[in-house]
Parts: sequence; C-alpha cells; structure tokens
Amino acid sequence: MNYVVAGYSIVLGILFLYGVHLLWRRRRWTRLVARVEASRPPVDPAPGDR
Amino acid sequence: MTTTAAAAPATTPAAGPLPPGLVQSPRMVWTTRIIGIAAAVMVALTVWLGLWVTPPDKVQGDLVRLVYIHPGVAWVALYLAFGLAAVSSLLYLWPRTRSLFWDRLAAASVEVGVVFNVCTLISGSIWGRPTWGVWWAWDARLTLTAVLLILFLGYLTLRRVPAEPDVRAKRCAYAALFAAVDIPLVHFSVVWWKTLHQGATVLNANLSPSIHGSMAWTLLLGFVALTLVFVWMLLVRYRIGALEDYLGTGELEVALLERRSEGADGLAAPGSGAADVTASDVSTTDVTASDVAEVAR
Repeated sequence: MNYVVAGYSIVLGILFLYGVHLLWRRRRWTRLVARVEASRPPVDPAPGDR
Repeated sequence: MTTTAAAAPATTPAAGPLPPGLVQSPRMVWTTRIIGIAAAVMVALTVWLGLWVTPPDKVQGDLVRLVYIHPGVAWVALYLAFGLAAVSSLLYLWPRTRSLFWDRLAAASVEVGVVFNVCTLISGSIWGRPTWGVWWAWDARLTLTAVLLILFLGYLTLRRVPAEPDVRAKRCAYAALFAAVDIPLVHFSVVWWKTLHQGATVLNANLSPSIHGSMAWTLLLGFVALTLVFVWMLLVRYRIGALEDYLGTGELEVALLERRSEGADGLAAPGSGAADVTASDVSTTDVTASDVAEVAR
C-alpha cells in the first residue's frame, strides 16, 4: 500500500503544484500587461475628432 | 482568481484595463472556473473510490489501485495533449487554417502534456518496482514513452529560441509533427514487441474491457477527472500564451518592463516626492537593444 500512496501523492502533488504555478504565471502576466497598458502615453485624437 | 479587466485594477492599483483583444468574456472566465472546480471534485472522488471503496485485485492486491491514476495520466499525455499538439501543428501548417491560435494551442498542449508525461513515467516506475522488481526497465513501452518526453522537451526548448512569431511557429509545428510519430509507436509497442508492460485494459484489440464493476467505473471516472484537469490547465496555459504574445518580448525584456512599470508606480505614488510625474511619463515599452546589453553587462 505504501507504493500506492506514494504514487497518488507524487502524481497529484505534481499536478497541484503545476496548477498553482499556472495560476501564478497568469496573474503575473495579466498584471504586467495591464501595467504596460496603463503606462503607455495616451493616443492623440485624430484631427477630425478635435 | 480572475483575469477580467474589471477585476484587474482591484488587485493592481497602478494597472489599467487590459487591451480589448485580451479581455476575457465573463462566460469564458466562468467556464474555466467551473471546469477547474469539477476537475478537483472528480479527482477527489477518484482518490476516495480508488483508495477506499474498490476491492483489491486477486493477483496484484492493493497495487491495482494505481490503475485508477496511471493509465489516466498516460491517456492525457500521449493521446490528448500530444495528439492535440500534433493536430494543432498540422492546422497551423495548412495554408487555409494558418493562424497563431493553433501555434499557441499546440504550445500550451505540449507544456501540459510534458507534465502529464512525467507523471506517467513516475507512477509507472512506482508500480513497476513491486511488480517487476525494478524501478526502470529498458522495455519498449517505457523507453518509447521516455523518448516522447525528450522529443517534446526539445519542442519546448525550440520555442525559446528567439525568432519571429511565424518562423517560430512553423519550425515548432514541424518539430511537433516529428515528435508525434512516436505516439503510435508507444501505443502499439505492447502489440508489436514482447514487453514487460501489460496490454491495453480497455482499448484492446477486441474492445472487450478486462476490468469490471466498481473497478471499471472508478477507472472511467479517473479518465474523466484527469481529462478535465487537462482541459482546465490547457485553458489557463493558453491564456498565458496569449498574454506573452501580446507583449512579444523575451524574458529579459519582460523583466525590464516589469521593473520599469514598478518604477513608474513608485514615481506616481502619493508622498513619494514625485507625484507630479505620471505613469505615462515613464514609458515601459521603449526597451531597446542597448537597455538589454546594459543589463547583460
């Protein structure tokens, strides 16, 4: 039974850690893109819009 | 966790809304969440049934409980993930369907598949030790599965080689198709060669499963649960790929962008003595080759 428990623990542990890692990466990239967008200079309106 | 534009400013005060092309619809956000929750519940159910409810096997005893997890991760890695990567790569190379969507999907699928492939090899090794007496044997099925892992690790390495998106996508698509040749070899290895690894339990030549009752249902549940885990991971990983492609920069440049955007936050913070400098005064998009060279020095 030790092998069984080890097998379940390792496989599910790897999947769990990878899942958390994915969430962390998504959060990091979402924040980065949002920050870059926020720091971009505003686009000048077209002459016709003035 | 959410990635909608509406929620982003709540967690990142200095962050603005995401560009329109990257804003996820609420339906997509909820779909991803529901799949994730369903996957977690079904995995928990599989573990409960597999470890406590199903009976031990007449020959293998309790070791048979690994059957509820090992074939499931192998199914996801070999057939779903790498199969999807091959199909996506083919669709990218096909002129009529050529789109970076397929390239991104293939990349996401391969990365998740590599994780599942590692799980396959580890769980197989743990099962092999008490049944065969060794952690590893140079058996056809095992060796070809390890070769598959190496081939797709090569694919991931190739993706990191700097190149134009189209060039990278094309070379990676060819690499995925080349690696995918190993998939049928892995599947039929137990038929074509005499191997230590047992033959298929469900998808055998007669399509007559050699597992029944609660054991069969738990096996099926394990397959569904791990498939849902794969789908959830694929959706999240695809999203990361889309965000990465939007910035379209290398790791070093992204680090610079991050540092500069943090600097912009600090400058604009009240009480910092520089509140009259807005975030837009500090451009985070003008990373040049000299900046990269400066950091590299």
